[in-house]
Amino acid sequence: MMIGLGIVLGLLVVLPSIQYVLAAGDEPGEYLDRRIEIWGLFYRLMIVAFTIGTIVSGTIVWLVLRFRESNPKAKPTEYEASGKW
Amino acid sequence: MSGHSNWPEWVYIGVVVALLCYVGAEAWNIERIVEHVPADAEVIKVTGQQWLWTFEHEDGTKEIGELHVEKGKAYKFEVTSKDVIHSFNIHDYVVLMDAVPGRINTVWFSPGDAGEFPIQCREYCGLIHYNMRATLFVEDKGA
Repeated sequence: MMIGLGIVLGLLVVLPSIQYVLAAGDEPGEYLDRRIEIWGLFYRLMIVAFTIGTIVSGTIVWLVLRFRESNPKAKPTEYEASGKW
Repeated sequence: MSGHSNWPEWVYIGVVVALLCYVGAEAWNIERIVEHVPADAEVIKVTGQQWLWTFEHEDGTKEIGELHVEKGKAYKFEVTSKDVIHSFNIHDYVVLMDAVPGRINTVWFSPGDAGEFPIQCREYCGLIHYNMRATLFVEDKGA
């Protein structure tokens, strides 16, 4: 209950406050090339996205191959062995 | 499940959560950097209407369908619309901002290469949306 409340308050109050204090500054910005910043961000995030994709899909592939019934290492679970559920 | 070890699951969760935190922090940081306008940026008022773009410089000069700017200078666009929602896009300079009636949205850029670049509406705004275009002319200093 308290954890849930904390998460909701965090999302509604704390994060926007941090954003306001740190990001909404009135100080002038510096000259920069948007193309480099934005495309650079895009490529970095694509690397992250494909890394996560590889981890998740790789785990699923390993799981399916390792725990298939025909795997030589496969052992029946205690429920399957006893025939009782 | 006694004796079951679940440390690989915690490593898995840790790696994915760490990567997601990195994504959030990095995106937030770049957005913060890109949104800060340099103090000497020249303001250009951009008005979208079905189906053309109008530009007004600080000195009052108006342009329709063409925008002339100087290479290496900073420009802040104040984008609005007269009728429906449009979206102001200079693809080659990664400038994209919605033009909303009754609102002024801002975006800035500093062109680094001289030349001609297409400007295109990126929000479907009616029959001639596909042809709601303009041209950005980036000129060398003193040209």
